[in-house]
Amino acid sequence: MLFFSFFKTLTNQTVTIELKNDIRIRGTLKSVDQYLNIKLDDIEVLDLVKYPHLSSVKNMFIRGSVVRYVMLPRSEVDVGLLEDATRRGKLRIVFLI
Amino acid sequence: MADIEDSGPSGSEPLDLVRLSLDETVFVKLRGDRELKGRLHAYDSHCNLVLGDVEETIYVVEEDENEEEIVRVRDS
Amino acid sequence: MDRLSLNESPANAPQRSPRPQNQFPQQAQNALGPAGPQPTGGPPQLPPQMFTTAAQLLDLTDKKLVLILRDGRKLIGVLRSWDQFANLVFQETVERIYAGQLYADVPRGIFIVRGENVLLLGEVDLDREDDIPPTLTKAPFEEVFELKKKEEDKRKKGDKKRYDELQALGFEPEHSGEILF
Repeated sequence: MLFFSFFKTLTNQTVTIELKNDIRIRGTLKSVDQYLNIKLDDIEVLDLVKYPHLSSVKNMFIRGSVVRYVMLPRSEVDVGLLEDATRRGKLRIVFLI
Repeated sequence: MADIEDSGPSGSEPLDLVRLSLDETVFVKLRGDRELKGRLHAYDSHCNLVLGDVEETIYVVEEDENEEEIVRVRDS
Repeated sequence: MDRLSLNESPANAPQRSPRPQNQFPQQAQNALGPAGPQPTGGPPQLPPQMFTTAAQLLDLTDKKLVLILRDGRKLIGVLRSWDQFANLVFQETVERIYAGQLYADVPRGIFIVRGENVLLLGEVDLDREDDIPPTLTKAPFEEVFELKKKEEDKRKKGDKKRYDELQALGFEPEHSGEILF
């Protein structure tokens, strides 16, 4: 559950998602679920020329299983807290935002 | 090489070794001709990872030559 | 939201059947009950029902969407039903195929899609849906299909060569050329 909880703390941040087919999409993280499916708002497709079918899409649901990377704003990540949560293996940690 | 005295052999599993690398620079080999180097901040049992200051290497094959390496550096 | 806890009860309770508009979210939550121990005395949390597959897909129900499958197919239709695995039912579906600078639409009707094949679902902005990039031209299906087949054959040959060379160096292909989008 660590990654699920971690992503929940990142809602409303701008993230860039790279899918396993190399497409990269930037948008506002609106929601995440237990499978790490992600909803992005106000999306912008990098290299839209290669993916014209997304030109009229504004929001999207991305299935967690096809995500390769999620690139996050460094300033919004408390790495010390993440390391502690990982070390303990359980989530008795409170994120303060 | 890893010192595992804090988790006895009975309760130890492969990912316990990864725990020793938290906050260290790690090398990750991925599927799909990719490698990452970065500082490990979190992982879970699926091997989802949070890495910082990542350098990503993608291997591509060039048409004529044998093998070419391009390196993309990304901030994460 | 000023504080958010990492100490959540898991949201992995089985979800209701599709079309949960009637009782979602409050009653659904009560009916299923918490699936894990509730934190006691922790900081206030965002309501867990915001972070379920159901909540994510509920917003998209009955809307016109672009569905992209793992094999690269693009379907445009109306999402009518779904479940927690993102198994989907699409109505009035049109498959759009692209090749080179051409595209074609093929009416396909109703689709039931198994969730594992879903790459993404995009909500079509109805104000912009006819803004096809000017570089693209609509063409007869047969023409686009032939061109696409040629493109794919060429790509497969290239992939094979690449995989062979990289495999010899100890790399594992991420997918067997099926995700192309």
